[in-house]
Amino acid sequence: MSTIAFSASSAVGKNAAASADVPVRIAVRNLNFHYGDFRSLKDISLDFYDRQVTALIGPSGCGKSTLLRTFNRIYSLYPEQRADGEILLDGQNVLSPSIDVNELRARVGMVFQKPTPFPMSIYDNIAFGIKLYERLPKSELDGRVEEALRKAALWDEAKDKLRQSGMSLSGGQQQRLCIARTIAQKPEVILLDEPTSALDPISTGKIEELIEQLRSEFTIVIVTHNMQQAARISQFTAFMYLGEVVEFGPTTKMFMNPSKKQTQDYITGRFG
Amino acid sequence: MNRMNGMPRTEMIQPDAWGRVRRGRYLADWALKAICVLFTALGAFVLGWILLMLLYEGISAMRPEIFVNTTPGPMTKGGGIANAIVGSLILTALGIVVATPIGVLAGTYLAEYGKDSKLAELIRFVNDILLAAPSILIGLFVYTLMVQPMGGYSGWAGGVALAIIAVPVIVRTTEDMLRIVPGSLREAGAALGAPMSTVIRKISWRSARAGMVTGVLLATARIAGETAPLLFTALNNNFWFRPDLMGGVANLPVMIYQYALSPYQNWRELAWAGALVITLSILALSVVARLLLRKDKVR
Repeated sequence: MSTIAFSASSAVGKNAAASADVPVRIAVRNLNFHYGDFRSLKDISLDFYDRQVTALIGPSGCGKSTLLRTFNRIYSLYPEQRADGEILLDGQNVLSPSIDVNELRARVGMVFQKPTPFPMSIYDNIAFGIKLYERLPKSELDGRVEEALRKAALWDEAKDKLRQSGMSLSGGQQQRLCIARTIAQKPEVILLDEPTSALDPISTGKIEELIEQLRSEFTIVIVTHNMQQAARISQFTAFMYLGEVVEFGPTTKMFMNPSKKQTQDYITGRFG
Repeated sequence: MNRMNGMPRTEMIQPDAWGRVRRGRYLADWALKAICVLFTALGAFVLGWILLMLLYEGISAMRPEIFVNTTPGPMTKGGGIANAIVGSLILTALGIVVATPIGVLAGTYLAEYGKDSKLAELIRFVNDILLAAPSILIGLFVYTLMVQPMGGYSGWAGGVALAIIAVPVIVRTTEDMLRIVPGSLREAGAALGAPMSTVIRKISWRSARAGMVTGVLLATARIAGETAPLLFTALNNNFWFRPDLMGGVANLPVMIYQYALSPYQNWRELAWAGALVITLSILALSVVARLLLRKDKVR
């Protein structure tokens, strides 16, 4: 807390511990999370850097998905779940009641483990999110849909069947459709909750390439069970265990030379 | 199993012991199957009998003019069921038009908002009671609620009575169909910043659309054949309906009830024809409902 001064989007993080000149986009401070009476996140403080991929790893139930779900307050759909502490996005605490959750969710997009195409055409799947916040003439909307599909590397496969149901696509294509739907809204942050765990290796490879490309524009946080994936695609990694962050640092250091024994044991497959 | 090496002592089962066990079980198996087949056949036989008799009597009573003429009075020759068919269409349509918004919105409340809350549980309980309530009670209820104050039988009262029968059916199917929609779809909608009302309208309803329409069709089929709620409300008569629907509206179920028990041959024939018309309409509705559901599953 003391060494890392949070900087708003205008400034560049001066004291960012891990990487000298990358600004912090999301700063989590003393975050606690409760499912009913169960405390599943304990005093988390963590920084997420601008336009970097941060991977959250750890055994099942360690709280990595829970942490991800606080960033867009999607947990608040369930009345028994609550979070306290601070999650600063561009200097604003997103947990504050004065923040409009729907506006927040348009700025912080999320892609889930299982592909979730809506029961409508491919075109409408993508237009759905755009239309929520922008009123665009048809031609401009067409352009935005195409742009999103291109960025999600789905345009070539989908351009001839934009009017077909999104559910007619294969699993990997559906997941890229969900990514396209998210980036069409032009969010600042993209949250990925095990986005490839339901996909075959080829689709996984495509999504990983895509994440690498999206990094130039978006701040990305990804939860993954796949250690190789974390090593391949992320610049920073946080290892979580029992609701706490055990270790956080640049991915290369975390995988080559972790400072905590627990991290070492998990990464080498000795537990978890 | 109390021996040290943990293995039980083995003994050969005698051949005749083998045979006895097997024969007994075989007999039990065979007997249960035979009983099940027998009673299934009995049920199918009765159903087939009813349908065959209905087809035979109904078809022999079918004449083109019965779809043009109104129901005959006593000692009148010929006549038809045209007014009863049109009246039934009006009453059923009225009932379903009133019941659909109430049923769909209440079902949506239960599935999307109320969920497991106390109020939702209470509504579900009351709905189940209404679902099983004797339909004659509903007829009497609407009689005191509408027929008495309005000073006479009317199509409006009949429509409301049918709506009360249809509402719990639609509430139930709507809730069941919305509950099948995966929560992950709702989360995905919310994650794009869609307010709950948009998620419900554009995602939940859209996903459950086929099932919800099927529920409405099945409710339509159900009220199309209801007799008891109409006895005290729409009653029946031998004329075309009045534009204000007052003074009773002719309808198939009550017409069948009155004509089938009459001493006149032409009345009884018309009752058969009416029964066939109503059965075929309900059959058609059920087939459409099934096709809709199947089409949805394939997609």
